[in-house]
Amino acid sequence: MYSITKYLMLFMVTISTVTCEKALFEEEFASTDPFVNFNYLWEECDKKYAYFSVKNIDWDAVKEEYSAKLFKGMTQDSLFNVLGGMLSELRDDHTNLLSDFNISSFGVKYLGQDNFDWRIIVDNYITQDFYRTGPFSHNFLDNGEIGYVRFPAFTGGINGENFDFVLNRYKDTKGLIIDLRENGGGAVTDVFSLLSRFISSETLVYFSRIKNGPGHEDFSEPFPVTVAAPSDKIYKNKVAVLTDRGTYSAGSFTSLATKAIPNMVLIGDTTGGGLGLPNGGQLPNGWEYRFSITQALTLDKSPDFENGVPPDIRVLIDWSDLTKDEILERAISELQ
Amino acid sequence: MKQKGFTLLTLLLFLFIGEVKIVQAQSESMRKSNDETTLTRKELRKQIPKFIAIGFGTNNAQFRDFATSPLIYSGRVLHISLSRFKLSNKREAELGLSYDFGSLSNNYNSTFSSSDFKRVELYYSKLYKLKLFEAIGVNTKLGFLLVGNGNIRINNALQNNAFGIETFANLLGSIKFTKDISRKIAKEKKFLFIKYKLKEKSRDLAFRINLGLINSSYRNGYAYIGQSAILNEPKFFDDYEYNIFEGLRFSSRLDYTRNLSNKNAVQLSYIWDAYATRGDSDKFEIAHHIIKLTLLFNTNNL
Repeated sequence: MYSITKYLMLFMVTISTVTCEKALFEEEFASTDPFVNFNYLWEECDKKYAYFSVKNIDWDAVKEEYSAKLFKGMTQDSLFNVLGGMLSELRDDHTNLLSDFNISSFGVKYLGQDNFDWRIIVDNYITQDFYRTGPFSHNFLDNGEIGYVRFPAFTGGINGENFDFVLNRYKDTKGLIIDLRENGGGAVTDVFSLLSRFISSETLVYFSRIKNGPGHEDFSEPFPVTVAAPSDKIYKNKVAVLTDRGTYSAGSFTSLATKAIPNMVLIGDTTGGGLGLPNGGQLPNGWEYRFSITQALTLDKSPDFENGVPPDIRVLIDWSDLTKDEILERAISELQ
Repeated sequence: MKQKGFTLLTLLLFLFIGEVKIVQAQSESMRKSNDETTLTRKELRKQIPKFIAIGFGTNNAQFRDFATSPLIYSGRVLHISLSRFKLSNKREAELGLSYDFGSLSNNYNSTFSSSDFKRVELYYSKLYKLKLFEAIGVNTKLGFLLVGNGNIRINNALQNNAFGIETFANLLGSIKFTKDISRKIAKEKKFLFIKYKLKEKSRDLAFRINLGLINSSYRNGYAYIGQSAILNEPKFFDDYEYNIFEGLRFSSRLDYTRNLSNKNAVQLSYIWDAYATRGDSDKFEIAHHIIKLTLLFNTNNL
């Protein structure tokens, strides 16, 4: 009897684990089928991408156009080009397809001319003796009356020590230039660390809302975003922020916020945008993707700056004279 | 190396401390002592064996989070557990904590991605004896299992969605069948020309099934990643949603317990546990197949 009971128990365990698990879980989704992967990516974007309306994108038409390029037995490379091409229709550098052999991107910075050359600045403005403090490269301009601070990427490296040093060095200047050209973004925490030194009281800088349903206009309520001022160590004079098409993501968030801060002025070209927080995911064939799932809104709650935050003063570089940075020159005259 | 040595030493001490001779099972003695009518209820309660159980083993786990990937991540992670339980012929109760940690991965279409995986589980269970299958010597108990667990997953392939965390709370109905499979009389055996003696052994075989009655989850919202970072108000459970009555959970457990002469015990277990969310657009599924060895220290000995 004991043996029968024992084996009956073992049998019950086996049966219960195998059958229940099968019943509980959905079927296997891993697939290299081009149609399966195309539909999966299209639907994920359709349900969660944040900027269809702002960019006036007919996503159904995009599906029709790109699905016609699929065929059974197509190579991985061909499928990648179809899927990457479809994502590029979103005109958003927060939207990428990643495989082990290629990464797709839109290239928003190529929509405008190049407006930045570090060598021109070093050779003609700040000299090679410039300081490097944390993520900042900086020096005095114009007989010590203006400070120039180059901030090339939001690495999350701004802290009390390095920014205190920078601001303390230029505390007696007439104005400060923060150069965000070709700054592709990064850690959004740096945005608030940076801005908090240029305001004297808590300031509402923009709104943000997040996708909360499958409809293209299904969003949460706009949440106000404020920057709290530090108790001391703020820079009170005028600040010029330099931007171009390469100013993206956290760079655009900073640019958007300057619109709400009276002593900051945006000079240069329109930014690249990238005001949506990107997500991340995988396709059934293992490739990775990402796209924007939030909208940053201006103080009047418009999402239109996703197409680029316009400068207050538009200036472009004239490449016929490589001894001069017209955007920087304009900022200097603005701060005088 | 030191840790391994310590574990081995603990195991050896546990197994061989006291007499090696097997005596009557402590569960048997419990039954007898319960029959003693001269004992007060308090004295009887005191005599119920109480154990501290320390378990370690491997967990063959797999999960799929449709919010970020339709692919199944699987692998073997380590499992450790610590619990305290009371066990008598009529009822049993257990309060425990377990921790699983390791890495689960997916390798499909020449694309390898790996997810660090950690799971913490807190559980409480209570079972009461039923007068069922007594004729065939099976002790049947019915009761519940209350489980709360949280998973932490980090998968850099998912970029801004790299960090995944979800918690589940479940009330499960439980039924447990225990069969005393002790060898009560020593046996003389012979294999070829070698004679050997099978000594008396006290041991139990138990099988338990748990079925989710109330299943709840606390998971990410529609977009998976919250926006608190860009709101300048970073928070941990960003845009999370609580769902109740929207999920399924089943588990089962097979235990082989060897009762030792010193009233401690060693238990070898196979545990299967699976749960899946329902009702939301991005389902989550996870299954665990755990094989573990548990050392049960009888605290009545202390």
